[in-house]
Amino acid sequence: MKSQPTACRARAAGYVLPVALHVLLVLLVLAQVVYLASRYRLRIDLTADQEATTTASTRGLLDRLGSRLVLEAYFSPKEDLPVQWRAAREVADNFLDELVQLGAGKVVLRRFDPNADKDTADKARRLGIEAQDLRSSSATSLSVDLHWQGVRLLLGNGKQEVVSMFVPTSPAMAEALLTPKLKEVMTAKRPRVGFMEWPAPAIGRQQPGGVGWQFVRGLDAVKRRYDLQNFKDVDGALLPDDLDKLVLFRPNELTDRQKYVIDQFLVRGGTLVVFADAAEYAIGPQRLFTSIPLAIDANGSQQQFVRQLEHYGIEWRPLLVADLAPPAMRAASASAPFEYFAVPATTTTGVRTLVGKNYPYFFHACNHDWRDDADELARGVDGKVDAALAAQYREAFAPGMPADDFLFRAYKKIDRGPGFYWPTSVGLRHRAGGKLDLPSGVEGRVLLWSSPLSLVETAPQRVDPIGRDPLQYSHEYERFLRSMAERLAAAQRVQVPLMAEVRGRFVSYFAGMERPLRPSEAAAVKPGEAAPSPGVPPPDAPQPTVIAEERAMLVEGERAGRVIIVGDSTFLRDDVIRGDYAQVGGPVSGNIGSTFFANLLDWISDDADLVELQSHAPTDRKLTLLDARSGRSADPLEVEQRLRSKTAVLVAVNVVAPCGALLLAGLVVWFVRRNQKREFLLSLDRVTRAAEVAR
Amino acid sequence: MPDVPVLDLVGSGARVVFRRELKAYFLSPIAYVFGALFLAVLLWQAAAATIVDGAPASMQPFFAYLPWLFLLFLPGLTMRLWAEERKLGTIELLLTFPVEARQVVMGKFLAVMVFLGCMLLLTLGLPLTLGAYGRLDWPATLGSYLASLLYASSYVAVGMFWSSMTRDQIIALLASIVSLALLFLLGVPQIVEGMFAGAPAWLQDLLNGLSPYKYFQSIARGVFDTRDFVYFACFCGFFLYANTLVLQVRRQQKG
Repeated sequence: MKSQPTACRARAAGYVLPVALHVLLVLLVLAQVVYLASRYRLRIDLTADQEATTTASTRGLLDRLGSRLVLEAYFSPKEDLPVQWRAAREVADNFLDELVQLGAGKVVLRRFDPNADKDTADKARRLGIEAQDLRSSSATSLSVDLHWQGVRLLLGNGKQEVVSMFVPTSPAMAEALLTPKLKEVMTAKRPRVGFMEWPAPAIGRQQPGGVGWQFVRGLDAVKRRYDLQNFKDVDGALLPDDLDKLVLFRPNELTDRQKYVIDQFLVRGGTLVVFADAAEYAIGPQRLFTSIPLAIDANGSQQQFVRQLEHYGIEWRPLLVADLAPPAMRAASASAPFEYFAVPATTTTGVRTLVGKNYPYFFHACNHDWRDDADELARGVDGKVDAALAAQYREAFAPGMPADDFLFRAYKKIDRGPGFYWPTSVGLRHRAGGKLDLPSGVEGRVLLWSSPLSLVETAPQRVDPIGRDPLQYSHEYERFLRSMAERLAAAQRVQVPLMAEVRGRFVSYFAGMERPLRPSEAAAVKPGEAAPSPGVPPPDAPQPTVIAEERAMLVEGERAGRVIIVGDSTFLRDDVIRGDYAQVGGPVSGNIGSTFFANLLDWISDDADLVELQSHAPTDRKLTLLDARSGRSADPLEVEQRLRSKTAVLVAVNVVAPCGALLLAGLVVWFVRRNQKREFLLSLDRVTRAAEVAR
Repeated sequence: MPDVPVLDLVGSGARVVFRRELKAYFLSPIAYVFGALFLAVLLWQAAAATIVDGAPASMQPFFAYLPWLFLLFLPGLTMRLWAEERKLGTIELLLTFPVEARQVVMGKFLAVMVFLGCMLLLTLGLPLTLGAYGRLDWPATLGSYLASLLYASSYVAVGMFWSSMTRDQIIALLASIVSLALLFLLGVPQIVEGMFAGAPAWLQDLLNGLSPYKYFQSIARGVFDTRDFVYFACFCGFFLYANTLVLQVRRQQKG
């Protein structure tokens, strides 16, 4: 007979094989299940911004593919990639596979390894795909390899676009890199957009031709999709019939002939976009605001451009607008206070930094319904709300961004419009008494409003808020703000329109007038002689001038025209959009301004293909620990102190509260248990004593 | 009534064990101290990294610290589950009860998960603070909490398995920490590449794919992928099954 432990060991040994087999089988089944689950997946993107979901832009473009799209991926093998590149490769691979799936047979993916043969590498280079020299190291070696990760999009009609480096770190980035190229390759012809610009003289820097709007027109997102052509003809020829979009960058010294050209373009049914300014300021490398004379109408001009616009239903009051509402003056990012106006400061730790300062002439429209603030604005000095005034405000005020058009979608996500610099008031025509007075057959709307804490001024009493003496900055700034606040207190609470649109069949402003002559025609007319009939050269000119035949004035068009007027052009100006003044504290409109221009071109072209992609911008989620009033108006050092103490309090509360609650609960449990134990022991004691007594 | 395995898993036997284990957690002052320490370390680190003026309202730092803390705290929570029963000799009593071994395992597993769920609930103050001062992406945050629970469940399953293998709590603790650390490190591709420099890429990918950390990161981004859920179900299922097998073998040995 076997002993007990030996029997146990034998029994255990008998289990080993079946158990091991059992475990192995289960492992195999589970591995198979995991493998199948990774092949047939269902994904739900829970992020509020849908960061990992292909937007409707990409899906819409793929749906509309007329011919086969070949995606040529010039990728070197994944296993040769340094590890930090592998995640990007996985994102790229997943996205390309997703495009093939979404293409439903119309998208073909071909993979090439340029490292495998020289011909493929040469072809990739010819296409513009760049190889990266990357160091890859292992435990035993260090090598420098060429890594390729570019994509060519080739449409059936032979049109192609190339993404030279396709290294996305997220699905959203993959889409942002590839989808615009898809749009470009699918666009048969770039729409033509005409423009006229009146650059400002360059102060303190060399920019041939002055500071204009060249940078924004040269942006990749603009120039690859639109053919922007200058139509500012010295001889004022009428615009071609096939041109249906015209952009005016800060009209200045407009001649009657130019006004006539614009008028005929509109009456014909064109879309006119005007970036208007009532005053011009040069900023310069040291940020010394210098006023530059600006006259909307040229010397000797008979017609006023403001009146001409009024004729179409636009009311442009060539006045400057300032907005004193703190949210309107706050820069989009605390880390980039130079969007508007920032000054150098030293923190308590001795670090030099830029601190944003409220400058009421630099602001944006807020995505806020100002009617909600009627009571607060109608509150008197005694703290009581004037009910009648509040009701009046509720009636008069409007949301800062009332339109739901796709142009504003991305901006609404960040709760604000593009930042404007010394803007002007541009709205709809009103009769005396405030009633809307649009021409018959024309409808219009205001697209952006300032806050009710706005001032409209003929010319600012002071433009530079800090002066030129660094020792007097604070003092001067306080004086500046006090003066603005006093003026605001004396003024009525009004919102100022900053962007407006009218559309309809326009009647020519020049109807019933003589057509303004082209300069060449005017030069051909002898002094004292009557002007020749249009298009006919003077019969006895010493040197016959060849003047192109011009069609007769179109008094009323058959198609609806459209005028969009934006009360600022500075935010798109080369120096401001390029970021020339970032080091000296702004202003810099940067991406916020350029996105607006690119989106505006899409909007006037009714091209919503990339809207979802463009408004895929993540929502502004930054933490604001101090409220706007206390956080922005006070001394930066004091603000920093307050921020530090508030942060410390919040951190402490978040740590102490749950831990304290848990420890307290533990203490209660300990007390209860101790009492229970004591009672139990006492009862035992009682029972023992009772037993002893009984004995 | 037909015998439905899933119902059977959390049947009355599992329920009894679950209640007993949960009561043991909530009536033990040590568990409270342990929980408070866990929360203090986690929240102190996470709150200091997230509550920053101008920074995005995001719980990312919190969910970045969590796997490290789970690695240190969860083995401490699971080490006693079986080892203590064996040391005190109560396991013999437990195994004689008319309950299936898998029900006992499930009861204990669910009790740990509920305790952990309560700990995580106590951290909700942080997202609420962030939500009050900024726009927190709530769906993604709640998704990350779910990912954390799934991730913790995989650690608990491994910890329980090691606890069932030994009667010494310290050995169970060390074995859990070592194996979980290894699994955690396998989830970082750079480390896999460094550790298995000469191995082919497919093997490196396979090793990387074994780690729960990889799938945790995937769900914590706010994207629910059936692959990740299936992985966690299979991972936990395997270790809970192994745990059950150990108990069954032991029961049969005793029998």
